[in-house]
Amino acid sequence: MPTSSKGPVLIHTRKKFLATTSAAATAAAFAGFPNIALGKGEPIRIGLIPPITGSNALLGQQEVDGVRLAVEQINARPGKVYDNRPFEVITEDATNDNQAAVSALNKILGENIVALLAPVLSTEIQAMSPVMKSHDIPWMTGGTAVKNTQLGVPSIFRLRASDGLTAAAMTAFALHEKKSKRPAILHASDAFGTGGADQILLNLKKYNVEPVANEQYPKDTNDFTAEILKCKTANCDSLLVYVQNPSDTAVILQQIRSLGLKVPIIGSPSLGNQSAIDIAKANANGVYCAQDFIIGFNSNVATRFLTAFYKRFGHAPDVGSGSGWIYDGVYLLADAYKKAKGTDPKATVAALRATKGWEGVMGTFTCDDEGNMIHQLSIGEINNGKIKLVKKVSA
Amino acid sequence: MHVDSIANLQLLINGLAIGSIYALVALGFVLIYNAVGVVNFAQGDFVMLPSYVAISFLVPTITVYGVSLHMQLPAVLVYLIVLVLMIGFGLLFNRIAYLPLRDRGWMPVVISTIGVSIFLRNFAQITWGSQPLSFPSPFPMNTINFSGLHVRPQDLFIIAVTAVLIAFQYVLFEKTPLGKQMRATAQDRTTARLLGVRVTRIVSITFVYSVLLGTIAGLLVSPIFNVTKEMGGLIALKAFAASIVGGFGNIPGAIIGGLAIGVVETFGGYYISSSYADAIAFVILIGVLLIRPQGLFGERIAEKA
Repeated sequence: MPTSSKGPVLIHTRKKFLATTSAAATAAAFAGFPNIALGKGEPIRIGLIPPITGSNALLGQQEVDGVRLAVEQINARPGKVYDNRPFEVITEDATNDNQAAVSALNKILGENIVALLAPVLSTEIQAMSPVMKSHDIPWMTGGTAVKNTQLGVPSIFRLRASDGLTAAAMTAFALHEKKSKRPAILHASDAFGTGGADQILLNLKKYNVEPVANEQYPKDTNDFTAEILKCKTANCDSLLVYVQNPSDTAVILQQIRSLGLKVPIIGSPSLGNQSAIDIAKANANGVYCAQDFIIGFNSNVATRFLTAFYKRFGHAPDVGSGSGWIYDGVYLLADAYKKAKGTDPKATVAALRATKGWEGVMGTFTCDDEGNMIHQLSIGEINNGKIKLVKKVSA
Repeated sequence: MHVDSIANLQLLINGLAIGSIYALVALGFVLIYNAVGVVNFAQGDFVMLPSYVAISFLVPTITVYGVSLHMQLPAVLVYLIVLVLMIGFGLLFNRIAYLPLRDRGWMPVVISTIGVSIFLRNFAQITWGSQPLSFPSPFPMNTINFSGLHVRPQDLFIIAVTAVLIAFQYVLFEKTPLGKQMRATAQDRTTARLLGVRVTRIVSITFVYSVLLGTIAGLLVSPIFNVTKEMGGLIALKAFAASIVGGFGNIPGAIIGGLAIGVVETFGGYYISSSYADAIAFVILIGVLLIRPQGLFGERIAEKA
């Protein structure tokens, strides 16, 4: 009968409810409450704003995966970050757009985060800097533009080699190893390309060398004939390429080959980006590129990271610009919180500033006055879809 | 040959090749505009879609909608399949984006073409991913070296195919009954209908023809540019500028406008500055609009109205 059958169900539910509530109350009284009071077991909230949608979505996914792997590993170890407190990641989409990145930042700052894994895109970092200045939490970035750490944000840390170091390594390689006397520069007209080219010019000046051509191309260009031909007719004997987009890279390399420009090509790290190599195929053979990281020529930390990443996600990571630096960022924060025994921003930043000889995926981390953590770089040569180490460079 | 004259010849060949692509896409704009009086904002995506479809059958392995495909077929067969599929797409586009809205004025149709464009780009991203794909060329991508002049066979092929298409179009429009009906429809739909022309069918054929022009442009340009979902956008923008320079609605104008923009931007990039290569195309556009608003070959606006 409906009435009689409903009764016991209700009683049963009430019983269950009472049991659950009293159990929860007891748990709170004996375990939960002291935890809150001492901060024990309470999650440490860190923010992440990668480009999840838009044309850099692949890069964003790499960042998300890098963070996920580090957080899973740290949360699984005894004592977690410290005092049994796990990491909790709050994510917002920065998309591919500066305005959206600033909105994402404002939103995530309302989420009570104690550190931010900032985007890898330098243009977004520069757009976000006015907001960042008014908060003293640590900002961990992989953006390589030299300016990023000179914007007056006191607690920013760069976990990759800056474009200054990259440009210096590229220039030295062209002039000393390739004996170039008439270098030419080809670069994108965005903040990244122009910043890189400026650094190359600065370095060439140190050796009293003038580039025979300095060509920039506008966004969305597909035909680089004019630029490449100008370098060729200027009779250059090496070409320094500073671009970010893998698609541009592939088209540029193809057109360099088809216009018969046969000089050493020395590129920014993105030339060694796996997607760029995959698209460019044979056209990338023999191209040199500055690299934060070359698989097969890395530390034990990096080998462990590569193995764990492959096991967790079923594919290899894009270490340099994608998941490696951000994985290191999470571990650096964990170490800083452990040392500071808390999440106080000042103490955390001080602990990060004291970083010296810390071994991570991207190399050995030592913090300088500007917040640059990495001071070494490799020059690699691409052949048949793979990069091999040619030379290690230190600042 | 002197270095400068070699460079100039090289720039000219390159400019004509890219200009041919602009011309083909500009023709697509003009034909649809003449037939139904609206600008089709999905014209650039008619370049992108067939390139993606073709590449799915041209490379040994490709991931389509998360599924790994291994369907490498001979290039000629692939081009034929793509052309047939795109005829179907042209009919579908006409049926979905134009026919239901044809009696509601021009604005809803324009918005509908913008909708199709957004849909196609996102469809391409979901289906083929956001990574650019490299399109195998039917020719060796190495250049042929004529005493310092490096000529890419693909560039010559683009110029040749465009020339043949223009000749074909001339014969079609001037010498065949179908072409005459298309021209009659473009000039005055009501009168054409009164004279017994089946206007709806002629409009469908015009849509299909425009889609095919985009398809051919896409198949020609993909080996040089790689296939991306955005590849049609900038081409369409330049082609649109080309058709205005030539006089919007004017067929020879679209061809000459396209070639002119291709050549001028390539030379401008070399002699002025490559950072302004894109700007140069639009400076020409503004200049023409100021000095000769009806375009180089256009009728005067007053006559048209």
